[in-house]
Amino acid sequence: MGCEAFVNHIITIKSLNHLKLNVMSIKLYKMAGILSLVILGACSPGGADYIEELDLVFTNYSDTYNFQSKKTYAIPDSVIKITGEHFNNPGSGRPAMVSPTYGNVIIAELKKNMAANGWTLVSKTSNPDVFILPSAMTTTNIYYWYDWAYWGWYYPGYYPGWGWYYPGYYPGYISGYRSGSVLVQLIDGASKQPGENIPVPWTAIFNGLAEGDSQGINARIVTGIAQAFTQSPYLKK
Amino acid sequence: MKKLFIPLMAMGLLSTSYAQQKSNFVMSYSIAMPAGSLSDYISSTSFRGISLEYIQRVTEKLDLGVESGWNVFYERVDNKVYTEGTASISGVQYRYTHAIPIILGGKFNFGGGSKVKPYGGLGLGTIYLNRNTEFGLYILNTDTWQFAVRPELGIRYEYAPGRGMLFGLKYYSASGNDDLDGQSFFSLNLGIVL
Repeated sequence: MGCEAFVNHIITIKSLNHLKLNVMSIKLYKMAGILSLVILGACSPGGADYIEELDLVFTNYSDTYNFQSKKTYAIPDSVIKITGEHFNNPGSGRPAMVSPTYGNVIIAELKKNMAANGWTLVSKTSNPDVFILPSAMTTTNIYYWYDWAYWGWYYPGYYPGWGWYYPGYYPGYISGYRSGSVLVQLIDGASKQPGENIPVPWTAIFNGLAEGDSQGINARIVTGIAQAFTQSPYLKK
Repeated sequence: MKKLFIPLMAMGLLSTSYAQQKSNFVMSYSIAMPAGSLSDYISSTSFRGISLEYIQRVTEKLDLGVESGWNVFYERVDNKVYTEGTASISGVQYRYTHAIPIILGGKFNFGGGSKVKPYGGLGLGTIYLNRNTEFGLYILNTDTWQFAVRPELGIRYEYAPGRGMLFGLKYYSASGNDDLDGQSFFSLNLGIVL
């Protein structure tokens, strides 16, 4: 029950009682009513004071994937912006990108944490063991199964018609209402056949209010990405 | 019809005056301390609470009463990782539990004719519980009714017949159900008897 509803409820009871009770009782009940309002005045205590207190970091992984046997990774130099489930090709074959103000920080932080966990960065054409695919969205849903065509511009040996596949787990239950999310997918680098789904052995989501100045948002992204690696010890070599 | 009406009215008047002498309304400030499963979720003492009771004297030694009230439990939990299976989620949590008991019970008065009357009682009823966990931008809500047994001990000081103050300790022992484990708590009550 909401605070206001309960207080209104008390007020309603009080005003009904006025009809029935004598003057003395009205005084007593008024006192009781006022006292209850004072006691319950702050009936929803606390709550978040700072925007970063609303930040969440969600990670999930496939426990059948052998992370220890993988050592190299490739990562694009931009973060794609997912605007919906379907990819609307703007002509260049590249989707809209997140502004480099944020994108560069996301990429740099992912590289820093991958290095700290013992992974070696290689180019996308050097048969990396895994790819790290960073994306961001400010939509009401997080699109875990967004159109693979978003990555057509980057991924070597790309086939249209691929889908996503989260082996043995569901990526997350977070939805992105009023919020901004950074979605990081770690995918296996082995070559795939047309029509296959792409396994995503590790998923990380950083979610929070997409508000504040860029410095503030970037500081929260840095903390969030570092936390994603901290709570995923299986990525460490 | 008239003949029947007059005795009914007289009975009504009599019972009203009887009730005015023999019944009390108790309003207390309630400080609540979580126990058991509730204290695992929120360990902080709650200073936001109220208890309202209507008591009817049956004999010199025995009162019957009905009570309700409202206790608000709250705690902030610092950034922490919660893991279930392969999934982990971290963030700050704001935890709330609203407890609204509705209890019927009896009180046994030990004090005889003196102004200071110790009492002990036992009540049965239900507690409406509303649990909110604010986690990031999301709120996880559970609300449920649990069966409750409520023993109590206290002292009532009457400065005039039927008027006084009260200091008591209650224990709300709630039984778990499918929604939540039993959300039990102690409550210290400082009240006025009207």
